[in-house]
Amino acid sequence: MTEVQLLQTIGMSVIGVGGAILLFVKARFVRVMAFVAMVLGAFSLVALSVPQMASMPPAVEKIDVASIKEKKELAAIGQKIFFSKGQCALCHTIGSSEGRCPDLKGVGSKLTREFIYESLTQPQAYVYMDYEHEGRAKFFPAKMPHINKKPIGLNNNEILAVIAFLQSMSGEEVTINLSELATPSSASSEGRKAL
Amino acid sequence: MEHIRNHRSVYAYAALFLVLVFAVAMPVGLAWAEDAPAGAATEYRDIPGMGSRNLIWIVAQQHLLLAGFVLGVPIFAWVCEIVGVRTGDQRYDKLAKEFTKLLTSSYATTALFGGILLFLLIGLYPKLMNYLSDVFFPSFLVYCALFLLETATLYLYWYGWDSMQGSKKGLHLFLGFLLNVFAFFIMIVPNSWATFQASPVVIAEGSMWARAWAATWNPTWWPVNIHRLIANVVLGGYICGAYAGLKYLMAQNAEERVHYDWMGYVGNFIGVFGLLPLPFAGYWLMREIYQYNQQMGITLMGGFLSWLFILQAMLIGILFVGSNYYFWLGIMHRIPGSEARYRRPILAMLVILLVCLGVWMTPHSLVASLEEARKMGGTHHPLLGVFGVMSAKMTVSNLMILVTFMSFIMYWRAGKEETARWAKVAKAGQGVLLGIAVVVVVVLGVWGYFVPAITRINYFSTTQVLVVLFVLLTVTPLTGLLMKSARTTTEMVWGVMPGRAGYVLVLNAVMVILLMTLMGYARSSSRVHWHVYGVMQDTSQYAYSPALGYAAAIMALNTFLFCLLVAFIFWVASMGGEKKGGPTDTAHTKAKDAASPAVGSAPAASTGHQ
Repeated sequence: MTEVQLLQTIGMSVIGVGGAILLFVKARFVRVMAFVAMVLGAFSLVALSVPQMASMPPAVEKIDVASIKEKKELAAIGQKIFFSKGQCALCHTIGSSEGRCPDLKGVGSKLTREFIYESLTQPQAYVYMDYEHEGRAKFFPAKMPHINKKPIGLNNNEILAVIAFLQSMSGEEVTINLSELATPSSASSEGRKAL
Repeated sequence: MEHIRNHRSVYAYAALFLVLVFAVAMPVGLAWAEDAPAGAATEYRDIPGMGSRNLIWIVAQQHLLLAGFVLGVPIFAWVCEIVGVRTGDQRYDKLAKEFTKLLTSSYATTALFGGILLFLLIGLYPKLMNYLSDVFFPSFLVYCALFLLETATLYLYWYGWDSMQGSKKGLHLFLGFLLNVFAFFIMIVPNSWATFQASPVVIAEGSMWARAWAATWNPTWWPVNIHRLIANVVLGGYICGAYAGLKYLMAQNAEERVHYDWMGYVGNFIGVFGLLPLPFAGYWLMREIYQYNQQMGITLMGGFLSWLFILQAMLIGILFVGSNYYFWLGIMHRIPGSEARYRRPILAMLVILLVCLGVWMTPHSLVASLEEARKMGGTHHPLLGVFGVMSAKMTVSNLMILVTFMSFIMYWRAGKEETARWAKVAKAGQGVLLGIAVVVVVVLGVWGYFVPAITRINYFSTTQVLVVLFVLLTVTPLTGLLMKSARTTTEMVWGVMPGRAGYVLVLNAVMVILLMTLMGYARSSSRVHWHVYGVMQDTSQYAYSPALGYAAAIMALNTFLFCLLVAFIFWVASMGGEKKGGPTDTAHTKAKDAASPAVGSAPAASTGHQ
């Protein structure tokens, strides 16, 4: 029995017992408390009937630089970060106009890697109303957070991996060289200069 | 009477047993708590089986609900006392006293849970408490000082009630005012700790006072302060209503029925009075959260917590319908002859409320199988998807507020005839105002679909809120003026409400308590895996936010425990009043079949000011 099934059983039992009390017990206080229990049981059942999503802390995925042999592996790591720790997909879409922020379809071919890096780390440095958007300029309600600062806090390697993913999914050649990734020993001295 | 006492004893023993089990189980659990490896500073301790987070969750929730009650009741009591002085109606003074009596026992219980919570936090989350103590230590001192002042004032206010009548009543009212001022500060100081966790600011170097002050003035502090202040009034009102509802159901004679029927009316009235502006305060808080951190706003409204807001809509919707239903029952039963007159408008209002509730509860994305999604052309239903967006939800929530306000005004006017010469013009003006407000709210709601979200959020939604507020703030005093000189055509009859009215009052209180537990979970979960958002990460095994179903089960448990606790407090407080023959227990004449309602000014507590 799963946790949800167990809780559903408890909820239904509470409603059943409450109903029985209302039917057979005359003491008013007990009846009122049974009524309260039934309401709470019903509330729990409704809450159990909606999609059950827990919010897990982001997995601590350390990029093992030594194990990356090809650029497409870097792009695959970037894709993982895009949809998990980076939380990019909470606002951005890829190929749909329903997002809170610009659609990123083809962004890797429209923008240079330097510009993407700047957009991630200094989002207010240069703001398009909507890049290459046809028709009237579009406003977006959400502002881009500094992706290299808390609470998201991607490190330089992770940012480079995301850029590799954006280039790769746009059909572009990935311009991030594997040698640019900071190894543990060089981590402190790497950074922007990698660009 | 004997069997009632026997029943009461059983309930009391049951409640006492629960408290004792809890008190014994906790140290045993702590004895099993794990510690850090030797040499390392302990960051977390756990309680096997139950889990440290669940224990903190339950204790913190009980403390918070009790605190809301303890801070809401003085406002409620003080307002009732003022009304009693201004109108000369002694029932309000007695009602205020009856609820102030509850404060002494509930105040101690709140402090008890606060103490337990503090010890548990220090023991189970030492890393976090070290950090917060470092930032907020000066405000801990302020908090202690406020507690001393509040306690002294409460004692003076309660024990001086009888001796400060007559010429000293002004002093007593001033004490009530002071009690509320201290209570307000007692609320906002810990609010700063909790809001700092959600929206921390950069703390510059400086004295410990300067650092604490900077952390206190974080972006969500005042929105939470205002939201909680109003919510406490709502909680106080509805719990008073639930108490009256329960006592009404248990009433043994006509006199008791009359008294508790009237008390239920006052409780519901104050609850609705607070409920109407509450969504605006919530909207302000949400705006501030979005402005502080988009990510947090999105986690709440569009991320894993988005379904929580459907549940919130359901609870608020039931609360609105329940409050309106109680008004309508009042019109139908307390005011003879009004059934025919008000049946149709009531039916219309019910339909509007249910339609609005349906729209509010419509999710943006539907739970659908792949096949169903393919048929719909995506996760957004072609028709229902239109109602799932904020523009629709803002519109219906404003309409529900307006409908509830209309119920309230209708009840106020029922059984009265305006005598002022300008009454016709005033009533027509009110009607026009209400009509314009409805049109503006709907037009802006529909228009909201065709403008960028930022325009809708910043201008359209704000205008909708301001228009509804304007109606509330103009129609209420105007109706008050009209009613001042109005002639009573039909006396209100108290004590004839059907039994379901008592259950509705209980249901409303349960909805408010559930809402508080639900939104507490939302506020806490919006920090996701951070103790202090973006500053101190939760690295314990409980760094995740549980799914809604599991959380709802804890919320239901917390609500039930709180109801038991409040029932226990009420029972304890009522023991002293039984011998004195106070308003609650004046009916010692055991006229079980005394169903004769109180009409006009027959018994002391029969007619009421509407």
